[in-house]
Amino acid sequence: MIGQRVLRVEDKRFLRGEGRYVADIALPFMREAYVLRSPQPHAKIVSFDASAALALEGVDAVYTAADLPASLTPIPCRIPTHGDMTPFLQYPLARDVVRFVGEPIAVIVASSRALAEDAAELVAIEFEPLPVVADAAAALDPATPKMYPPGNIATQWGFDLGKVDDAFAQADIVVEKSFSIQRHSAMPLETRGLIASYDKARSYLEVWGPTKVPHTNRAMLARMLGMRDGDIRFAEPDVGGSFGARGEFYPEDIFIPYFAMKLGKPIRWIEDRQEHFASINHSRECTFDVKASANKDGRITAFDVVLVADLGAYIRTHGDVVPSHAAASFPGPYAIRNYRVKATAALSNKTPSGTLRAPGMFEANFAREQIIDMMAEKLGMDRAEIRRRNLIKPDEMPWYVGTQSVNRPTLFDSGDFPGLFEESVSHFGWSAPLAKGEGPVRRGRGIVALVEPSGFGPFESARIEIDPAGFATIFTGASNQGQGHETMLPQVAAEVLGIAHDRFRVRHGDTAMIPYGGGSYASRTAVMGANAVHRAALAVKAKALAAAAQMLQAKEEELTLDGGRVIVTANPSRFVTLAHIARVLTPGNAELVPAPKDFIKDDHDGLTGEVFLRAIPSGTAVFSVHMADVALDIGTGELKIERYCVSGDVGRAINPMIVEGQLVGGVAQGIGGALLEELAYDEDGNLQTGSFADYLLPSSHEVPRIEALVVEKAKSLSNDLGVKGCGEIGISGVAAVLANAIAHALGTGARPTTLPLTAERLLDLVEPRP
Amino acid sequence: MKPAPFDYEAPTTIADALKLLGGHEDARPIAGGQSLVPMLAFRLARPSLLVDLNRIPSLAGIEEKGGVLRIGAMTRQAAVLASDTVKHHAPLLIQALENVGHPPTRARGTIGGSCAHADPAAELPSAMVALDATMVIAASGGERRVPADDFFIGAFETVLQTGEILVALELPKQTGGSAFLEVSARKGDFGIVTVAARIAVKDGRCTDAALVLGGITERSVRCAQAEHILKEQGATPKAIDVALAALPLDTVTMDSRLASAAYRRRLIPELCRRAIEAATTSKVAL
Repeated sequence: MIGQRVLRVEDKRFLRGEGRYVADIALPFMREAYVLRSPQPHAKIVSFDASAALALEGVDAVYTAADLPASLTPIPCRIPTHGDMTPFLQYPLARDVVRFVGEPIAVIVASSRALAEDAAELVAIEFEPLPVVADAAAALDPATPKMYPPGNIATQWGFDLGKVDDAFAQADIVVEKSFSIQRHSAMPLETRGLIASYDKARSYLEVWGPTKVPHTNRAMLARMLGMRDGDIRFAEPDVGGSFGARGEFYPEDIFIPYFAMKLGKPIRWIEDRQEHFASINHSRECTFDVKASANKDGRITAFDVVLVADLGAYIRTHGDVVPSHAAASFPGPYAIRNYRVKATAALSNKTPSGTLRAPGMFEANFAREQIIDMMAEKLGMDRAEIRRRNLIKPDEMPWYVGTQSVNRPTLFDSGDFPGLFEESVSHFGWSAPLAKGEGPVRRGRGIVALVEPSGFGPFESARIEIDPAGFATIFTGASNQGQGHETMLPQVAAEVLGIAHDRFRVRHGDTAMIPYGGGSYASRTAVMGANAVHRAALAVKAKALAAAAQMLQAKEEELTLDGGRVIVTANPSRFVTLAHIARVLTPGNAELVPAPKDFIKDDHDGLTGEVFLRAIPSGTAVFSVHMADVALDIGTGELKIERYCVSGDVGRAINPMIVEGQLVGGVAQGIGGALLEELAYDEDGNLQTGSFADYLLPSSHEVPRIEALVVEKAKSLSNDLGVKGCGEIGISGVAAVLANAIAHALGTGARPTTLPLTAERLLDLVEPRP
Repeated sequence: MKPAPFDYEAPTTIADALKLLGGHEDARPIAGGQSLVPMLAFRLARPSLLVDLNRIPSLAGIEEKGGVLRIGAMTRQAAVLASDTVKHHAPLLIQALENVGHPPTRARGTIGGSCAHADPAAELPSAMVALDATMVIAASGGERRVPADDFFIGAFETVLQTGEILVALELPKQTGGSAFLEVSARKGDFGIVTVAARIAVKDGRCTDAALVLGGITERSVRCAQAEHILKEQGATPKAIDVALAALPLDTVTMDSRLASAAYRRRLIPELCRRAIEAATTSKVAL
């Protein structure tokens, strides 16, 4: 089953509109919540009057920070950071100061969402505006008023590896350039949402809607509210996308459950799209000042990078992980030992930030891969050739970059980077001539190489249960936002157990069913989730063989598990089915464990297998090459992507169709980030994007057919299946390769260094504005 | 994103609709709802009463009579786009519609709704101006007819008065070949700059010319001077250069994050040149 292009079993319900998302769930006596958010980027709350709102028929309550427990802490950061970030953490509801447009101030609970919104218009809040820190540049300016007593900089750190200054002094060429990546974020088709219901007498709080890391978030809620983990159930329904942003622990994740407890009625909160723009973790906004050097032979000798990231108004659960990853991984798949980076995480009066698919890597690739093209141009060297000469070689693996991010070493466990590179270049026809541009059209070709970490731990769990009818249930600690777990995980178990793929169900994301789960992030499900399922299946197999040996009165080594049956290898007419074994191993079944005569004893625990896996901290490295041909209209600046090919060495593809889908979807999303998407603010800190009319996502017209070249060259050496995560390589190189192709099309040395690459910006590169 | 409370009526005759619209303060007609529904959701529009025009059969339909094409205001954009009658009579309208939204929005969006909404970056108002359309307006006192160029006043502003409904658009048979070009952030988006061009050339002479810009200011702009030059001097390369030098670049007032005024000014001559050339070489030249 592993390696087969099994159609996704979950697609049937998604395509028929039969998915059950959080907004499809309703409970008796349920009320609806609306979160009243700050219209001010930075202001003191002078007065708050909800009396008119409360007078409206159908309004239950208008809750503010004063209604939360007095002892409540801000939402903690769950990831190791550079230094202490506690001064910058966010309280679930603003207390006396708001620091970004969209910060929750109050929660209106009413009989309907529309009524809650009517009530919101009746709440009178008086603000006293405070000076606004508009962006990172302002944050770095000592003259700017401080948002927090420690200032407007959350942290600064860096690495200084090898001898960077010596390398620059000795190099044949040195190039420098600055790059700017715009603020944008995940736009899951389904916005966030929660339903919380509390059984006070039994002390049981149930929350539907959590995803990504439900167990981590449940523990965080329990800790913040002083509750027991076991008194809280988090349940993940169908989820329409996360991309790293949805499923983090947000202010709503504490105050919706808490106010449901306080009100004594279930509360549902469904984020609308306008809220989403202001409240979901933003991401990506940063600048790189890059200096790089190389020798005449194309050997890159040093990178020197100044990275400044704008993290927004508060530090959230992700801390400074995005610039941290960018700083740790900037050298990419190249063997470079002289590397210096100085990173700054600045604060501004904008929505706080977190990760977005390929966090820090999309950004770093955009800067590094352009600098490499600049070096190739200066050396008069082919752009593939310069990469070829610098890629880390298989015999140099494992490769330790020399940096760390969130306490994990940046370590590439395995890989044949040159092998995939040559296969990609040859597949695309890198050296084939470009079609001539007709009229105002100029054509260009780009190439980038990148490496993504994948499969981060720390752990993952899996439990497989075979029932007496021969059906199997997989309980996975991985959570699911549409990636295909329900198809892919059974393929892995079916490979071991020989049970037909369609006899499996997959349960996930429910803390009542799954005691410990890692979740879904960092392209980890194939690596951690599937390996856990694989070992759980092996445990089931071992148990089945042991039981079958007794049932068939044979030795275990005389038996084979084949097609859902355990057979006597020498005499295949003698067999027992897994269903039969499951029946025999059912607790209370007397066939193999007769009732004790005078004292209790252990019984069977079913035909089950349960596994908890620990990962190596650095995960497993996945290498990728992106290539694209573009056509640039030099009369209008319009860009057409004429061809796009992304390749990835995933070690082993459990379901090649799903892997290709991840690559193609990643590229499509990356095209949005490269060309269109921006969470824009004016200079006064007001968010300018409030709908999909001004936050532009790519459509089928902007996304060309994308070729995905999935290669199984270098198996991961750090897990049983040899798999590497494929979720992020698709998006990671898009801005970089399009920028390189555009620069090639221009052919003048001009280079698009500011994202998004709008037609206007590209036309500006054609020649200076008249 | 839930609308403020409003009342709702769905009359089945124009007379009833006019009565409802005239009888309520802040009543608003709703056609395909592709603009108004989002505005309601954002509470940018807060009518006391929505008068739904979707159940008035006489408001929809395409009919050619005596050289005049009459399109009912409630005719769906998709129906217009698919109409052979329109294609033969006013190909510029088809060319414009190809840039309007997507199949789902065109399936609901109406030809009259877009005109009455008068978004300054919408394609249909420019097409109507370039096609010398006549807008047929009904009120309880009777009908009036307004040339398209006089119908559009400003951003989201037309000559329609409270209690009036745009009931139909009347188009003379298109003279000349045509082209509709635009630059937009994505296919189907409102234009950053749109150009509707209609050029009639006979025996080497330019007998009629319409050149209309959209997306640049509060309403569509007819390039009268450039049209005049083309008509005087013919659509020769030299005359086109002269005409392009006479484009009303100083009318550009739209200046936004997604496209600056300078960018729009730079696009106008480029798109106009391409549109004029396409219109003069258009296969559908009439």
